[in-house]
Amino acid sequence: MKKLDSHQHMTTPVIAARSVGTRVLRSEDPRLLSGRGEFIADINLPGQLHVAFVRSPVAHARIIHMDLSAIRDADGVALAWSGQDVAPLCEGLVGEMAVEGCFPTTMPLLAKDEVLYVGEPIAVVVADSRYAAEDACELIDWDFEELPAVTNADAALAGGPVANPQLSDNLGLKGGASFGNVSEAFEQADQVVQGRFYTCRVSAAPMETRGVIADYEWASKGLRLWSNTQMPHYLKYMLTAYLGFPEQGVEVITPDTGGGFGQKAHVYPEEMLLPLLAREVGRPVKWIEDRRENLIAGAHAHEQFVDIAYALDADGKITGVRTDALGDGGAYHMPPWSMAVEPWCAVVMTPTGIYDIPAAEYTYSAVATNKTPVGAYRGVGYMAGTLARECLADDAARALGMSPFEFRRHNVVRDFPWTNAQDIVYQEGSWLETINVLEKMVDYPAFLQRQSELREQGRYIGLGLSVFVESSGESTATSQEHGLGDVYHDTATVRLNPNGTANVTIGLSAQGQGLATTMAQMAADTLGINVEHVSVQTARSTSHAYGSGTIGSRGAVVAGGAVARAADVVREKVRLVAANMLEASVDDIQLTDGLASVKGVADASVSIADVATSIYFDTSSWPEDFEPSLEATQAYDPAQAMFSNGGHAILVELDPETGFVRFEKVYSVEDCGTVINPNIVEGQIRGGVLQGIGASVFEELAYDESGQILTTTFLDYGLPTMDVAPPFEIHHLETPSSHSASGVKGMGESGLIAAPAAVLNAVNDALTPFNVVLRDLPLTPQRVLKAMSGELSTAQQEATSTQGETGHA
Amino acid sequence: MSITPEERLNVAMTINGRRYRAGVEARKTLADFIREDAQLPGTKLGCEHGVCGSCTVLLDDLPARSCLTLAVQAEGRQIRTVESLADGQELNTLQRAFREQHGLQCGFCTAGFLMTATALLEENPAPTREDIVETVSGSLCRCTGYETIVAAIEQAAADGAEGNDDAKDGAQ
Repeated sequence: MKKLDSHQHMTTPVIAARSVGTRVLRSEDPRLLSGRGEFIADINLPGQLHVAFVRSPVAHARIIHMDLSAIRDADGVALAWSGQDVAPLCEGLVGEMAVEGCFPTTMPLLAKDEVLYVGEPIAVVVADSRYAAEDACELIDWDFEELPAVTNADAALAGGPVANPQLSDNLGLKGGASFGNVSEAFEQADQVVQGRFYTCRVSAAPMETRGVIADYEWASKGLRLWSNTQMPHYLKYMLTAYLGFPEQGVEVITPDTGGGFGQKAHVYPEEMLLPLLAREVGRPVKWIEDRRENLIAGAHAHEQFVDIAYALDADGKITGVRTDALGDGGAYHMPPWSMAVEPWCAVVMTPTGIYDIPAAEYTYSAVATNKTPVGAYRGVGYMAGTLARECLADDAARALGMSPFEFRRHNVVRDFPWTNAQDIVYQEGSWLETINVLEKMVDYPAFLQRQSELREQGRYIGLGLSVFVESSGESTATSQEHGLGDVYHDTATVRLNPNGTANVTIGLSAQGQGLATTMAQMAADTLGINVEHVSVQTARSTSHAYGSGTIGSRGAVVAGGAVARAADVVREKVRLVAANMLEASVDDIQLTDGLASVKGVADASVSIADVATSIYFDTSSWPEDFEPSLEATQAYDPAQAMFSNGGHAILVELDPETGFVRFEKVYSVEDCGTVINPNIVEGQIRGGVLQGIGASVFEELAYDESGQILTTTFLDYGLPTMDVAPPFEIHHLETPSSHSASGVKGMGESGLIAAPAAVLNAVNDALTPFNVVLRDLPLTPQRVLKAMSGELSTAQQEATSTQGETGHA
Repeated sequence: MSITPEERLNVAMTINGRRYRAGVEARKTLADFIREDAQLPGTKLGCEHGVCGSCTVLLDDLPARSCLTLAVQAEGRQIRTVESLADGQELNTLQRAFREQHGLQCGFCTAGFLMTATALLEENPAPTREDIVETVSGSLCRCTGYETIVAAIEQAAADGAEGNDDAKDGAQ
């Protein structure tokens, strides 16, 4: 079965932690703080031209006629293309995922016959300046016949008007699986709790929009492509596969990047078009997305419905879980993840969570609609799945008269390794401890007392709990564990310089996670040198180390493993020479704090700098048959899936006048194994949780019935601001992974994954006196006010009675 | 008498203590002038409609959205950008506080926060937490969750923002 650990690149060296675990200040910061970062918009090539897109103003229409001659005649315009012009060069990007029941689509680079969403590019203009290019876009002459817009996932599922002619029944995805005796669990249940949860459509909205610069040199057939992508090596592969640029001549360059959060982990039509345009005009071309484009044409995220039911026995144990997820995928599968990225991940990755549930069954589907394609956003599928599971846990706790802590403690897995109903193996975890620590952090009895006192005064506070487990360090093993066949591995190169300092190159591009700092910590400890003596280059160019992408909470684990393995090869060279210099056995040489010393012998040491200098310049220091390279490139891929865990408790107060949800405090527990740098881990938690708060309360990409998107600026699409951001109290648990370098696990996604469930549970806790349970995001002031007005309590009673019928079967 | 957007006008302004003079299209934004003509790319464009605050610069010592200001509106005025903050080749008090408090991750919004906070600390060297939140809430950050940005500005105030005074003197 799942045996991968025979490969060499899956084992990592044991290293003594020196800088790992400490709050090393980031090496990235001085540049970024002084305006010396180099982001894609800051890069200008001699002779460059500027690109602007004409985007569809309608959701669904047949293109009858398109004439770009007025554009081509405009001042400063070098080139204009329609879908007809580009189709012979590239038919489009195929989107699908290798899961059961995924029906592929091909997304054209520019719409040719039909436009399928507002924002879809229909023409591209290259001109002397962005101002001139945008002016020329206004001159487009086209006619279209509007077609019915499909904007509702349930309607799309039921058939009717077709959103995308490539999917005649609107289905982009449909499948399911069952594990254990689910029917029996539900037939014999003492009661069943169930609910349908909705996660609204949102945008990852990184502060820096997307951008692409292409420069093609015909004489050498060399293509340089700058993109702020999270997957430079994959993009390079796609440029070769789709456009035929010779692979050996393609270089993808990723400059400093202003956040990605998954939105930049796709391959977009714009990234394919720019190289073609550069080749055609013979000059470099540059496109920087504006915010409106980012909100209408950058991948959208999250929109799905999750139906979930627990079978509970008389003792209050969950004996079975059924989950169905329906994703509103937008007009196309977003390559390379597809519409499966939300509903499939939600039902496959999350239903059992931290609970010992012996039977699980799931179904998933995704439908095409005439909206922007849905893609990846920090913790794909996990957010919706965790919301459904954790909010249903609170429903169950209420039904059983247990506290949220008590119900979770009653059902939590206590023994590891644990194999869940789906045969997914969890090697270790601090799942029970997370519940206990959170309960203590919030001082639950004191909270209950305060809640009850405030209610007397007409004030409504609520505490919401959400406990999560997430796969991290996305790897070949993780993929296999979840029934996929994706292969991941990354390399790193470590070079020790003549004066004992090191340069490290990794294959992952960075978007603000501080990888240059944490990887320096990993390299420094492996080599036994000071972290300030290590300089790390993240994947600025595909000409260096290889990487499978900065996705799936994998950076620290996978790049860290590759760095440790490469540094270990160099370390062994240093030990060999140090042993020779110190006339000791290699086995006795240890490298720490800048010294190579002989174990147990005081004063028998030489500085690592001296050893390095000797290797470069003094052959007399070499042992026999020595090969003096102090540079190594090694690959890494974790041998087994690994899972981080933790939880959040969020304290809110509802304003009965305005319906506004005020966030008083966030309590977070995170167990990502060995913490490389607490500052960075805590930064990921705060940022991720605030994105979760945004997705729960403030953010929604709204459409009208005609498929017109209504949220096209940051005035309409409200990101959380400083005045609504809560303070945090963060507690670290450390259950090291048994098989990663230093025991590190990934955690970049956990904040967004688990925060919305805590928010919804907190709001529902605050709403207890109104006898209402909300299940849809976002929790806008209007909806909260309505809930507090008593208007929704009838609906809630209906839901309860349905539940009663299903229960006690 | 009206001027077309494409019409070129002469404009002169002082940025970070240095005089710039150029002929620019009337429609050119101050942000584009700073980034392209003055070649100071530290000022970032996050939304181009005045909401996110990334492009904030100091216009005669007051924070201004350079994406909503035309270059020609800055005629004869004093502008400070993020490039003016460092104290020689050292980070100033505020920049150091951002680093020590982990008040930035991707760094794209940071220049706007730094310039807004600089103006705040120049006007009020001992702001309360509420003062800070009220003043700086007009800038968006997607990475940090804001708590560490508030902490950084508090630390800078506590450490004394003498670095900012130096920068201001240097610019004038």
